[in-house]
This record gives sequence, structure tokens and C-alpha cells, in this order.
Amino acid sequence: MPRITSLLKCVADMTKKSSNLPESYIKRAMERTGWKTPSAVQYRKVQLKKKKYKFSVHRPWTQEFRDENWPGTQSPKVFVEPLLDWTFFKGDRVELLTGPDKGKQGIVNYVVQERNWVIVEGLNCTYKMLGEEFNYPGMMIKDEQPLLVTTQVTLVDPSDNKPTKAEWRYTEEGEHVRVSVRTGRIIPIPKQAEETPDYKTKSTYREQEKDTKESELTRITFQPKLKTFEMDIAEKMGIKEDRIPRKTFWYPVQHQDYEYEY
Amino acid sequence: MSALLKGLSSVLATNLIKFESLFISNRTLQFSVKSVSAPKNYFRLGQPAFSFHSSVSRRGLEEFFDDKKNWGELEVKVGRSWRVDELRIKSNEDLHKLWYVLLKEKNMLLTMEHASQEECRLFPNPERIDKVEESMNNLERVVRERNRAYFLLETGETGERPCSRVTDPLGRSYTMQYTEHFVPIYMNRRASKKHVHRGAAVVRFRRQMKEKAFLEKKRYYNRVRNHVCQLLRRFPELDEEAIQQQYPEVNLTRLRRMKYSRGHHLYNEG
Repeated sequence: MPRITSLLKCVADMTKKSSNLPESYIKRAMERTGWKTPSAVQYRKVQLKKKKYKFSVHRPWTQEFRDENWPGTQSPKVFVEPLLDWTFFKGDRVELLTGPDKGKQGIVNYVVQERNWVIVEGLNCTYKMLGEEFNYPGMMIKDEQPLLVTTQVTLVDPSDNKPTKAEWRYTEEGEHVRVSVRTGRIIPIPKQAEETPDYKTKSTYREQEKDTKESELTRITFQPKLKTFEMDIAEKMGIKEDRIPRKTFWYPVQHQDYEYEY
Repeated sequence: MSALLKGLSSVLATNLIKFESLFISNRTLQFSVKSVSAPKNYFRLGQPAFSFHSSVSRRGLEEFFDDKKNWGELEVKVGRSWRVDELRIKSNEDLHKLWYVLLKEKNMLLTMEHASQEECRLFPNPERIDKVEESMNNLERVVRERNRAYFLLETGETGERPCSRVTDPLGRSYTMQYTEHFVPIYMNRRASKKHVHRGAAVVRFRRQMKEKAFLEKKRYYNRVRNHVCQLLRRFPELDEEAIQQQYPEVNLTRLRRMKYSRGHHLYNEG
């Protein structure tokens, strides 16, 4: 059970990273307020917010997530096994341990860390007919279903293509790497894990029109001076000020609205 | 910014006021370029105001709106926000310019959001507003850092608006920011009045507040404990370190012994 006090803690790190969205936006987009008092003086500020959110394959900022989490609705509680380290990434080769596709290997194409789920490309599918009519047989839709990383799926060791458990260790150079427990071989993190809607890899990001150019971004223009920000700017703009202000005092004044007492 | 202003010497405080009026008049100038009826030298601006332009392009009110090619688009791609490390290497002048670039961008985005709502259209990539705000917060943080360093070096104080923990007549303590006054505290009748927290009603209120806080804490702990019990019941072989990391307040060895956390499976046989 994630702490309810912080909404953003409910959203997993993998989700935040793969979205490339600012956290404040994720929070703003997923929040559902059922009712709140009008913004006027006579009202106490009260909000009825949805506290428990249902996480499924839909990302928290999508309309599907909003539809699943109407304020005032409740979904059955889900118990998610806490894991110390997350070892599954997009682009990983995994082997299925259960279901009709047991023993088959596939590539992870979607990770839902909030539920300990991964979706494997083309495996563990459901089929349903869509648009059936009396003179038209309909269309079959194939839909990949999520798999639990704790029991239904394991990583594959790249050295012998056999299933193995993985854990995080440090190399002698101090690098944090994912290692196959059975053979001790490093399982590299695939390039696809870096992918976001904005770019495939960080190095191949194409600069947009409004972006600051990298040469401009990395240029060092700061020079330490014994001036505050305001003094520096005033000097740059040729503003001179010689007036001496009156001495003022800083202290707290409580209960400003009790003025009628005096 | 107002928090920054406290503790500035006279020169700076008035300068900032001047700055603001300068920007306002500059903007007025921009937006009234097309009006022919305004007499010459109507705005009575000094030389520095004319020479300073925060923006390159002056399109009047059009600057509140995005480029026309972005209208009706489903996606407008932009990069990430400015990070603190990137802002720290920039000079004050650059930061000053960047602030107004960001402010104008934010104004534009909020206008576009409002306009698209009015027209029942989609506002593409609403996270742009958050990105700009994040950049502005980071920028403000860097300016604050620099000013703090200056004041600590020169005066030994942070130069920021002071605050302290105070208690209200009902005995609740909270952080309160100081306000600026012309007279010292002993001459200010309202500020120097002591609020004594006594009386049967106040005592009762404080006791009930305490009780409420205690019950909330207790309920919270019970909720966490029950949840961990259910986890142990469903996943008997789970990683104890992981669960302890997530819920440091529970005693796992004690919870393992509870009947509530034992499930009907082979793990608990014998």
C-alpha cells in the first residue's frame, strides 16, 4: 500500500521516467477532485479528492486512467508484492513460466511497475470478436495481457538463452549493473528502455524550434561578483539610486483579524 | 521575488520598484504601437526604458498567442525544463533575460489554454506549462542562492524574509512570516500583546486536538499493519527487506506469528 499522503509516490519511477513528463504535470493530470467549495471568502477551503487510485495498463495522465478513476467510485483493493529492486525493462528478453505460452520467449514492450506487470510482445494474448453482425462474421482482435514479474515471467540469460533470476550488483569499477544470478553474467539494459514519446535515445533527440541550442546551454557566462542579483542588474541597466530608506523593523504580528479588540 | 527583497539596502529596494514600473511601461509601449491617436511622448519614458527591450519581436497583443502554424495542432513538441545546474553557470544578466522569456512563454501558454477551452478545442501538450513553471522555480532558486551568499558574506545574515514558530490563542503552533513595520515591536501595541493560552474552552480544545492526532496516527498504524499481514498471507515467501524498506514501522517477526497473516497454503503446513 503506497502512502496515500503523497499522490506522486503512488506513481512508479519507471512510469515517470518513460513518460519524460514533469512530476507536477503527472500529479495535475491524474488528480480527481469530486467536489470543492467555491473560491470565495465565506467558504472554508475544502476539497473532496479521490485518494485511492486504480492502476492498470493505462498511464496516469491518460483519459483511460481518468475513466477508470471516477471520483466517488471504488475498485477492489489490489495487493502488490513489494520488490526491493526492479529488474525488468522495456526491450528485455523474457521467458513465460505459466499460461498457454509457457516456455516461450519474447520481448517486453510495456512495463507497469505499479502492479509488477510486464507485457510481452505477441504472447499471453486474448482473442475477441468485434463487430459481429448476422451477415458479417466480425473481426478478431488480439490483445496482449499483462504478466506478473514475480511468478509468471523470468529474465533470460544472454549467454545461454536460459531463464534466470537477476539482481543488481556493483562491478569492480563501481558500475551498477544487472547480473544473472545463475551464471554471474551481466545482462545489459536494452536501448529501448531509454525510449520516451519525445525521443528513442537521448543522443538522437532532435532539437525543436523552441529549444535552447546546446552550445548556448553549456556556455559559462557566470562570473562571481560581490553583488546581489538586483545590484548587478541595476548597474548593467545604468540605474543609480542614492536615496537612503527609513529604518524598518521586522517582527510577526499575529491575529490581524482581531482588530476590533482595540 | 518579494521574499528576496527583504534586507536589501535602500538602493536596491527602490531600484526594484523602478524596474517594475519600467517593465510595465515598456509593455504598454509595445502594445500601443498601432494606436495613432496617442500624442508624442505620451508615456513620458526616460532614455533607459526606450533602450531596453526584453524581447526581439514586437507583435503587440499577438505575442500572447502562439505561432499560427501551431494552432489546431495535436502535438507541439518541446524539450525539458531548465535544470538548476544549467542555470548556475549563467550570469545575472542572462538569468534576467531568461526570466522574461519564460514569463512571456507562460503567459502565452495560459492564454492559449484559455482560448482553446473557449473554442472547445484541444490544447496540445499541457505539460509545457509545468515545464516553464519548473524552469522559473529553478531560476528563482539560483537567484536566491546568489543573494544569500552575498548577504551571508557581507552582513552575516541570509537577507531573506525572517520567520519563526508562533502559537495562536488556541495553542496551535505554526510558522509565521515576519512583516515589515516602521515602529519597533515595543511601540506596536498589537504586535507586543501577549496571548495567554488558558481558559477551560482552550484546554478542552487542545486536549481534543491532541486526541484527534493520536487517533489518526493509531488508525494509520493499524491500517499499515493489517496491510502487511495481508501481504504476508498472500505472498508468504516475500522479501522481508523489501517490505521493511517500504514499511519501516512494522515489526515483521511479530506479524509473522499472528494468525491473521497465515494463509491456507502449503507454506504454513506443519
